[in-house]
Amino acid sequence: MPEATTGSGSEPRTLRLQRAMASLVLDADEVALEADPGRVARSQALPGADQQAFRDQAEAMLTYRELARASLIEPLETMFPVTKALLEPAGAWEPCVQAFLEARLIRSGQYRDIAPTFLGWLASTRWGQDRWPFLLELAHVEILEVLVARFPDAARPEGLRAEPTPEDCIVLDPATQILTYTHAVHRASEASPVPEIRPTHLIAYRLADGDARLLELTPATAALLVRAQDRPLGEVAAALGLAGPDAAMTLLKDLHRDGAIAGFQTPT
Amino acid sequence: MTQDRFHGVGLGLRRPHLEEVARREGHGVPFWETCPENVVGDGGRQHRLACAILDRDPVLTHGLTMSVGGYDPWDETYLQDLGDFLLRTGTPWHSEHLCFTRVDANCLHELLPLPFTREAARHTIARARDLQSRLPVPLLLENITYYAELGASDMDEADFISTVLEGADVGWLLDINNVYVNALNFGFDPKAWLSRMPLDRVSQMHIAGHKKFGNLTIDTHGADVIDPVIELMQWTLARLGRPVPVLLERDNHIPDLDALLAERAQIQAAYDAAYDAALASAEARHA
Repeated sequence: MPEATTGSGSEPRTLRLQRAMASLVLDADEVALEADPGRVARSQALPGADQQAFRDQAEAMLTYRELARASLIEPLETMFPVTKALLEPAGAWEPCVQAFLEARLIRSGQYRDIAPTFLGWLASTRWGQDRWPFLLELAHVEILEVLVARFPDAARPEGLRAEPTPEDCIVLDPATQILTYTHAVHRASEASPVPEIRPTHLIAYRLADGDARLLELTPATAALLVRAQDRPLGEVAAALGLAGPDAAMTLLKDLHRDGAIAGFQTPT
Repeated sequence: MTQDRFHGVGLGLRRPHLEEVARREGHGVPFWETCPENVVGDGGRQHRLACAILDRDPVLTHGLTMSVGGYDPWDETYLQDLGDFLLRTGTPWHSEHLCFTRVDANCLHELLPLPFTREAARHTIARARDLQSRLPVPLLLENITYYAELGASDMDEADFISTVLEGADVGWLLDINNVYVNALNFGFDPKAWLSRMPLDRVSQMHIAGHKKFGNLTIDTHGADVIDPVIELMQWTLARLGRPVPVLLERDNHIPDLDALLAERAQIQAAYDAAYDAALASAEARHA
């Protein structure tokens, strides 16, 4: 069956040639492309001479497909090895990557943005999450430390205190993230990619030397770190029923020393 | 003076070497080349190291994804950030590739060939002129490696590049390895090809390694530079008769810094020998 023609003859031929090349790189049907690379030129309503050029240089045109796809897929394989280890035995890794490529969402010219774009695509499409309900959480935790380590540097708010009082609220470092997952995805590995079903609270932050650190939190500590960003620590601790406020204060001081908390200030 | 700050053989600044380069001020590399896409908007320790090196050492900038021959509108926010970055580094020019990388708002992260046609040349000239008007430093365009012609051609690669460089009135980042690889893949004489080109527009050169896969030679930037490419660099320097900076590119299978510095020193020796010979020849002509 002939493929649909999507190109318009009224658009510049150069643009249609570029669209044909993009199709050659991103389209799914590899067997059909290998049989006739000229199909992508035909679908853009390009003249017969252009279609023939695609066919006459089939090996080189398919090399472009291989090179460009390798360039786009490499950051996914590097950043999501556990996700790949989960999907590949089920024959789902390549379809997942292909579906992402066909969605054509890679807008940024910055190579480091490809992996977060993939994560955003997983979140918006829920691809594979009927079968693997933890898939998004797994992919997220895989790039969490990199996102924290490379978070753009920003000036910290001024006038923060290093020692918390019960009247203070918490100001996190801009790179710090507090996460709640339904699965213990941070324990998954390439050897054991299916995580335990267990509500999990994590804090990810950047140390002074630039490395990222991931710590598991108790539910109460996680709630304290979230709620006490705009309410007094003492009030939040009491509401959470934290029995030993001194222990909480010690943890807060440690997180401040390590850089996760920028400081403490009176709520405005 | 640009020529005083930027001559000899420089290196691409790569993440695996940042710690060591930041620590070693006496590294002997006359300048670094950096890709703004890899620095602008980034953060963290590696970013701080890169910025410290770029603030300390002479730097040339080399873009990857502007898509000069494409149709997507410029990313105005990035262009503003890029301009600020170029000024911060003090680069005397900014180079981009004579190719397209974006189609319909999608970045393909690959240097894709433009059609060798009058229409594509006219379009690329207009785009390059527009981009130049938005940058705070002169724009250079680099000849790429290509493995196929995109569609039916009106002209050959040499005519296409010359037409765009002249029409846009921009400088040329001459990638010697790309000329060599294209010559292998398309069966032409690289010196004859270079002899047709507007060498007066060359402001910088690139040199790199490549590898053969099947019937095609691929510009991998993943191997040592081979002697015929070094010899072609020397031949070109002799034709130019002036010491344009040469950048040794290495993006894959990146060796440790000492190994890369050793390869740089070898190419620097070849560079010095070629330039000395060109000077001696000029002196003899005027004697």
